[in-house]
Amino acid sequence: MAVKGMNLWSVCCLVLYFVAAVLAGRDFYKILGVSKSASVRDIKKAYRKLALQLHPDRNPDDPTAADKFADLGSAYEVLSDEGKRKQYDAYGEDGLKEGHHGSHSDIFSSFFGDFGFTFGGNRQGQQDRNIPRGNDIVLDLEVTLEEVYSGNFVEVVRNKPVAKEAPGKRKCNCRQEMRTTQLGPGRFQMSQEVVCDECPNIKLVNEERTLEVEIEQGVRDETEYPFIGEGEPHIDGEPGDLRFRIKVMKHPVFERRGDDLYTNVTISLVEALVGFEMDITHLDGHKVHIVRDKITKPGARLWKKGEGLPNFDNNNIRGSLIVSFDVEFPEIQLNDNQKEGVRGILKQASVQKVYNGLQGY
Amino acid sequence: MVLIYALRGFIKSFLVVLLWSNCEGRESEFNYVTCGSLVKLLNTRHNVRLHSHDVKYGSGSGQQSVTGVESADDANSYWRIRGKPNGTCQRGVPIQCGQAIRITHMTTGRNLHTHHFSSPLSNNQEVSAFGENGEGDDLDVWRVQCDGSIWERDKMVRFKHVGTDAFLSVTGEQYGNPIRGQREVHGMGTANHNNYWKAMEGVFIQPSQEPLRHHHEEL
Repeated sequence: MAVKGMNLWSVCCLVLYFVAAVLAGRDFYKILGVSKSASVRDIKKAYRKLALQLHPDRNPDDPTAADKFADLGSAYEVLSDEGKRKQYDAYGEDGLKEGHHGSHSDIFSSFFGDFGFTFGGNRQGQQDRNIPRGNDIVLDLEVTLEEVYSGNFVEVVRNKPVAKEAPGKRKCNCRQEMRTTQLGPGRFQMSQEVVCDECPNIKLVNEERTLEVEIEQGVRDETEYPFIGEGEPHIDGEPGDLRFRIKVMKHPVFERRGDDLYTNVTISLVEALVGFEMDITHLDGHKVHIVRDKITKPGARLWKKGEGLPNFDNNNIRGSLIVSFDVEFPEIQLNDNQKEGVRGILKQASVQKVYNGLQGY
Repeated sequence: MVLIYALRGFIKSFLVVLLWSNCEGRESEFNYVTCGSLVKLLNTRHNVRLHSHDVKYGSGSGQQSVTGVESADDANSYWRIRGKPNGTCQRGVPIQCGQAIRITHMTTGRNLHTHHFSSPLSNNQEVSAFGENGEGDDLDVWRVQCDGSIWERDKMVRFKHVGTDAFLSVTGEQYGNPIRGQREVHGMGTANHNNYWKAMEGVFIQPSQEPLRHHHEEL
């Protein structure tokens, strides 16, 4: 009996050790699905995408959902902080001794707002219609084309008034009611009276928190990113939303049409005739190489597939870069000899075609 | 057996405690008003917030009125801090003391504006909200006056109009219906404690890093 007990004990010890080892060593990079060299932005992007998928409210049938979501929050918290990430990289989860700066719901709500999921992320609760809402706030967020190409995160500090309970009562739901008073037998008087209910007293206290707005790759102009509950409070109800409206700014080099980018290049007459080689620096710094060895006509267009913007719905699909060429003529006057030389080289007969070039334009 | 389960539970909670102990309240270290931010401006002398709405002045220019309100939860008190027309004001960059800015009303898209008209209650210089979709004219530009080099959120600043040199002020006169209780906001020539304003509630944009420069090789 004792021997069996001891074997059981050692098995339990082994299991205990295994459990401890497993607990001590979560692979945060794997949880987020990022490489060890991922940037903070990659980590934020990964968290935001996975948090939406793994939130327990989204997975009511999965018993492990809460744990997975908690793991995700821990992974984000460690890897998004430079100091903690260094410690984690060196010593693993065991080596982390510092504390956290917010609960998992705090991290989630900094990406989606306070009520990110309570109403299905879209305020579709049944009680929704009867609860008064505070005002919405819309902030135009100006983004550059570089940010649309590579993506970015904008941190904002939201300082907002929050309704807090205060001692005492206040009047609420005030309304006009008709009151009938009897002045005497058969004589009545109707008057209007303001009638109020009694509600707990509310005072407004300013609170501050950080929100993370993602500029997703390929985002379209006027796209809105709502943060539920981060708008203005309502004394008798719930707060409105804060919405960031993306405004893509004009770019000096590239013009956006959907997922395609348009740009213009002026070349010299010599280059147009004899060919040339050049690089166009793209929005993220990489170079697009262009080689021409034939004649390039003014207005000619070069189509570079895959060099446009990433598609918003599928970042792996890219539009094209369309390069239009125009030609700059040299500021010289040719003497008679040079004119003969040009006629000899180009061997082009005189054209002199007269036509209406403004048809319909 | 029970002892084993208890021990496992203890180790698990010990590890969790080790990881999540020392809760630090995270403070925002960034205390400046930046370009593109949304802000409510409080007049510190009269405790009212700069406000506008779709109500026009009945006198003076007849443009959209600008007032001071006591409530702290009205979305019509939000103003967006933007650069001057044709100027560069990069998103998230702190506003310098002395910098020329435009202050655009969030809900109506009109700019804080003043001109040589008399204000209805005190006969000072009328301050209105002017323009469409954030575009008005040259009289929409104000200079932020503060001590130090950057507009800090918890410091009082003055707004001096570029063009008329008037300071954005409140001296306490109150309107009657339909905007009962709201205070008159006007321009005054002298700098005094009536023209101090402080950034209160809002959405303060932090500076972003430049998007990553990738150097992938295409085969």
